[in-house]
Amino acid sequence: MVFPSIEFAIFFPLVLVASWALMPWPRFWKPFILVASYGFYAAASPRYCLLLAAITLANQLGAVLVHRESDERRRRWIVGLTVAFDLAVLGVFKYYGFFADEIGGFLDGIGLGLSPPLLTLALPIGLSFITFQAISYTVDVKRGLLKPGSTLDVAIYLSFFPHVVAGPIVRAREFLPQLRTPRDPRNVAVGAGVVLIVIGLVKKVALADFLAREIVDPVFGVPQAYAAPDVALAAYAYAAQIYCDFSGYTDIAIGVALLCGFVFPQNFASPYRAASFRDFWQRWHITLSRFLRDFLYIPLGGNRGGRWTTARNLMITMVLGGLWHGAAWGFVLWGTIHGLALVVEHQLRGTRLSAPTWVRWLIVFNVVVFAWVLFRAETLTLAMNFLGQLFVSGPATLWTPAVVGAVLVVIGFQLLPPDPLDRLRYRAANLPAPALGIALAIVVALVGATVPSQGVPPFIYFQF
Amino acid sequence: MSDPTTDVPDPPPGRRGRARDALVVVWIAVALLVLFQGAGVRGGAEELPPGLGRDVVEAVGEPTGWIADNLPFSGRTDQALAWLESDGGPARPAAGDGATTLLVTGDSLSMPLDTELARRYAGGDVAVERDPHVGTGISKSDLVDWTELSAKQVRKHDPRAVVVFIGANEGFGMPAPGGGQAQCCGADWQAAFASRVGRMMEAYLQNGDARVYWLTVPAPRDPARQEIAEAVNGAVFAAAERAGDGVTVIDLDETFAPNGGYSDAIEVDGRERIVREQDGIHLNGAGAAVAADVVQDAVDGDR
Repeated sequence: MVFPSIEFAIFFPLVLVASWALMPWPRFWKPFILVASYGFYAAASPRYCLLLAAITLANQLGAVLVHRESDERRRRWIVGLTVAFDLAVLGVFKYYGFFADEIGGFLDGIGLGLSPPLLTLALPIGLSFITFQAISYTVDVKRGLLKPGSTLDVAIYLSFFPHVVAGPIVRAREFLPQLRTPRDPRNVAVGAGVVLIVIGLVKKVALADFLAREIVDPVFGVPQAYAAPDVALAAYAYAAQIYCDFSGYTDIAIGVALLCGFVFPQNFASPYRAASFRDFWQRWHITLSRFLRDFLYIPLGGNRGGRWTTARNLMITMVLGGLWHGAAWGFVLWGTIHGLALVVEHQLRGTRLSAPTWVRWLIVFNVVVFAWVLFRAETLTLAMNFLGQLFVSGPATLWTPAVVGAVLVVIGFQLLPPDPLDRLRYRAANLPAPALGIALAIVVALVGATVPSQGVPPFIYFQF
Repeated sequence: MSDPTTDVPDPPPGRRGRARDALVVVWIAVALLVLFQGAGVRGGAEELPPGLGRDVVEAVGEPTGWIADNLPFSGRTDQALAWLESDGGPARPAAGDGATTLLVTGDSLSMPLDTELARRYAGGDVAVERDPHVGTGISKSDLVDWTELSAKQVRKHDPRAVVVFIGANEGFGMPAPGGGQAQCCGADWQAAFASRVGRMMEAYLQNGDARVYWLTVPAPRDPARQEIAEAVNGAVFAAAERAGDGVTVIDLDETFAPNGGYSDAIEVDGRERIVREQDGIHLNGAGAAVAADVVQDAVDGDR
């Protein structure tokens, strides 16, 4: 079930009423919201619910055992086994096919003719997000940052419908405390929630899907058919599309959670405004960045071991971060480029080399756009074709005012000073409830009218 | 141990309301959308695959559609918003002078075969037009009526060859040729289906000016779907026989079900490769490449 769909438009109003009606009685509300969330998740495939339940139980067992255990060696083993279980689930469903195919190709190439058994395993929707949240729970209990929650609370944490399929990656210690007491029905960020939903819908349906349809999908699908002007615009258009698609999803998720009385962390902060790669990663997919920082980069040693150790840790973190997005070499290369950029930036820090902010912004933005090409292209061959076409002269067949305007709006808005936009959002959020309802209906009708007969395509990050 | 409550994110700034306000907002929006666009729910059900989700949307779509039908708002809203409707993507890239058009169309089955063919013919004298209509079916005409759509496609693209790959969303009841409703997958349903396929073939053939390459549905994994696929394929062969020489039916079971049944993997270039998507219906990228080989051989052989 995707947010901008008729199914969700039926599901959410009913769940919202029942949720607030039952909220004062946690013993009724909690089972209700768990069933509703599993129902939401089951819309993709009921079989996946069993896996979600298995991950929940395994991590709850690990968290409870590690909390009870006082011997540090045993505690490490318990956490190690639990995290290994999470990663094994992720590995089997997400990476087995890729590596089996690659190993089979390699063995065939050297004449051995052997290959691992081929399996078609459906990737459960949102598995990467679920496993990362589960890991954060168990490890934070081990670190003493959190006490284990009840099994019911942990099950709600991992399955809560606003974030279950594509994040944001909410840490257990951000969410479980919100389950301790019923949400206060007199203190709901209604206006902010509705404004976020409206912004998210516009980003996803009116901008991201429009750009995908009009330029990104055609050019990335058959780059050989287009010349430099179209290919260059498609690269910038994809940067705009993926931002609108993912941040649009996050906006809706955060907005929906706010209407239910829950607060999620921010996930985007005008990422294309960044004038350094470090800054970019503090603005793009913030909840993933901090997960990688806290559960990979810092445990590896972070920047405590000198220049080369820091460089190694940055590269490992970013390459694995790339691989997290999917089992393909394009994602690995994307992570490698970001890792190298961070390493170079780190090495240059403290030297006399510096450039004006606008030059740094220009470099960072264009490297990010270049890396997105590898991220988006279906294969490395197509990525090379795409980049090769940048040197082929020809007409600009896809430069329509609407496409160019959409790209400029998406990127330009992020370069504007944040204060006036925040004030605008704040004013909109303060409108009375009936006005917000009318505004929501108008926006849904307007963006709905732009949807072609094929319907709303899935969010890009659903596949991760 | 630190106090975990300190990690709860701050809510965004703005006036705090009551839970009642949240319900008012959402239900006002729902009420307005039902009044002005209620019929859309009924139509939306058509796009969904069979199952509980579709049943629920259909059940809700009946009353909302009735309300919209009996009020004057729905039509006016549609007219007012018509300017926002998508025309289905950009024009094709510039092809060489005198290029002939190959139209690749169908439901979701036609993707990514259409892109694979477009890549192969890029830069040559064949311009590939891709026109997939995801979620549609020949036996369900509420969302897209393929007998009408095929004529529109011919007017819009003027193709010299048409590749059709459709059949993932079939099995719906249709008016039988002799009257009444034909349910899948008996002889009367096959006859009704073949009649619609025949009209599509006639439109695409353009009185012999074009050729049609119709791909059969490769055996799906689900036995219930296999029965539908067999009925669809039988009807396609029957319609093609009546349509005459301009239609080539490409039997994909020969390639993707060499042992007579569904298979995730087949041998490609001496190696076992997975060629089907995880849903057991669609072809994946490797499968689309194999299908494109077969289609390209047929198309190029006729040029």
